[in-house]
Amino acid sequence: MVLIVGGSYQGKIEFAKEYFPGSFVFDKLHLFIKQCLEEDKSEAQILEEIRKRIQTGDWVIISDELGNGIVPMDEGDVRWREVTGRILIELAREADRVYRVILGMGQRIK
Amino acid sequence: MITLVYGGSSSGKSEFAENLVCKSGCANKYYLATMKPTPDTAERIKRHKNLREGKGFFTLEYERDIVKAVYEVEKNKQERTGIKAPSQSDRILLLECMSNLVANEMFREGKIMPKEYCEKKIISDIMTLKDEVSSLVIVSNNVFEDGVSYAAGTKEYLRCLGGLNRTLAEMADKVYEVVVGIGIKL
Repeated sequence: MVLIVGGSYQGKIEFAKEYFPGSFVFDKLHLFIKQCLEEDKSEAQILEEIRKRIQTGDWVIISDELGNGIVPMDEGDVRWREVTGRILIELAREADRVYRVILGMGQRIK
Repeated sequence: MITLVYGGSSSGKSEFAENLVCKSGCANKYYLATMKPTPDTAERIKRHKNLREGKGFFTLEYERDIVKAVYEVEKNKQERTGIKAPSQSDRILLLECMSNLVANEMFREGKIMPKEYCEKKIISDIMTLKDEVSSLVIVSNNVFEDGVSYAAGTKEYLRCLGGLNRTLAEMADKVYEVVVGIGIKL
C-alpha cells in the first residue's frame, strides 16, 4: 500500500495518477474518517474498516493533513483531527511507501 | 546539544522524540511536561504517560518557569536520599512542548504578557537548562497552517511561538519535522 499525505489542493490525486496509474485509489481518507466518527465508530473500528477495504489489489490511500493549526474550538473537530493523525501514523507504519505532496511535488518519506 | 522536533497535532512527534531520547544511551532521562493539568487535558496527559511507560523517564512537571527544573529536582532528591546527583554529562532532557510553555508564560492571571518578554524569558530558561544536561530534545508544534485569522491575543501568541521556533531551529544541532510518525531531517 502507498500512502500519500499533504495539505489541501497540493496535487495529491494528480501525483497518485501519474506515479501509480494502475492502482486503486482511496481518496479523501480524512473525510471518510469524519463520516465514520459521525456514525459513532471508534478509532479501532475505523482502522479495521480501512484495512478491509484495501485487502485486495494495489491501493493508494490519499489523505489531507489536518494537524498543522491551532486547536479547533469544536470538540468534534478536535477529535477528528486527532483520530485522523493517529490513523495516518498507523497506516504509514503498514505502508510500503509514504509520500508527502507539496506544490504538486511528491517527497518520498518512506 | 539541542535537537528540535517539530510537527502538527497527532503527527507522532512525541513518540519520535521519546525514541530519540531512548536511543541516546544516556542513563538519566528526564521528561519535562508543560501541559497544565485540567479536566480537558486529562485524557491527553494520560495517553502521553502511557506512551512513556517503561521507557525509564523521570517526569518533571513545570507548566512555566522551566529554568533549573533538573537542578531543583536533583537537589531535592540528594537532600532526601543522600544519593549523589548524576553528572551533567549523563543527563538527557525532553521538553514537551513549546506550544503549552508559550501559552502558560503568555496568558497568566488573566493578563497577556508581551511577546518580547516571553521570547526572552523562554530562551534564557532553555539556555540555562541546556547547561544542566548533555542533551536537550525540544518538541514544538506546527500550528501555523490553518489559514484562519485569529483575534489579537492569539495572533500575538502565534508570532511568539513562530519566532521561538525559528530561534530554536537556529540554535539546534538537528531539526526534524515529523509527518505521520516519520521524522524528516530538515
